[in-house]
Amino acid sequence: MKEITAIIRRDKLPETKKVLDELGYPSASIQSVDGRGKQKGAVCDNDLDPELPDNYCMSVKLKPTPSTYAVEHALPKVALFVPKRMLTMVVPDDVVSKIVKSIIKVNQTGKTGDGKIFISPVESALRVRTGEKDGEAIA
Amino acid sequence: MKMIRAFIRPEKEQEVVLALEGSGFPSLTKMPVFGRGKQKGLQVGPVHYDELPKMLIMMVVEDKDVAKVIGIISDKARTGFIGDGKIFTSPVDGVYTVRTGEAVL
Repeated sequence: MKEITAIIRRDKLPETKKVLDELGYPSASIQSVDGRGKQKGAVCDNDLDPELPDNYCMSVKLKPTPSTYAVEHALPKVALFVPKRMLTMVVPDDVVSKIVKSIIKVNQTGKTGDGKIFISPVESALRVRTGEKDGEAIA
Repeated sequence: MKMIRAFIRPEKEQEVVLALEGSGFPSLTKMPVFGRGKQKGLQVGPVHYDELPKMLIMMVVEDKDVAKVIGIISDKARTGFIGDGKIFTSPVDGVYTVRTGEAVL
């Protein structure tokens, strides 16, 4: 068994869920998280509109959060975070690559902030309702 | 690669994140969580707090960087009082960047 942790864009979650449903692995835990990557959180939503000037989001379109307030008012340095959705699912070994491929296919926009997928080993699983173990528990 | 999950005091979050950034580890995911430890929460006079707010910081780093990252987190998050938090490390088999589809961190 492997645990797939995918950190994806918020607006791609419905599509991702649909694709996982079609693959036959609809079970997942979803959490709202904040994150940052190599760009240190300096990405913004006007990626969607290429006609805007490059510095537009830093000057005008910052959403009113504590970190953007700090940027606008030139407060001492803060760490910026981007809201994301984290999807965690435990699946059998043989379907990991299939699921990873379809998650990538759905979520790929080619712009920074598409997210990461982590695969970790899981030793055992138990379904609380029936007491089934490992393979049957995640089937 | 290893996944590091650190449960730290919420008020230490910015300090830890900026220290990690300064050492070349800018990427992480954070989420607010509630938990308790050995002391079963916190007793303040007659009031008992069973679960206390913590910030969970999750990051995946190369094996060689694990000790360094843990050192930075524990150094910055420490106050010396109970409730400073815990750090857990677990193995990660594979990493994919969605933008490129490549299996690199």
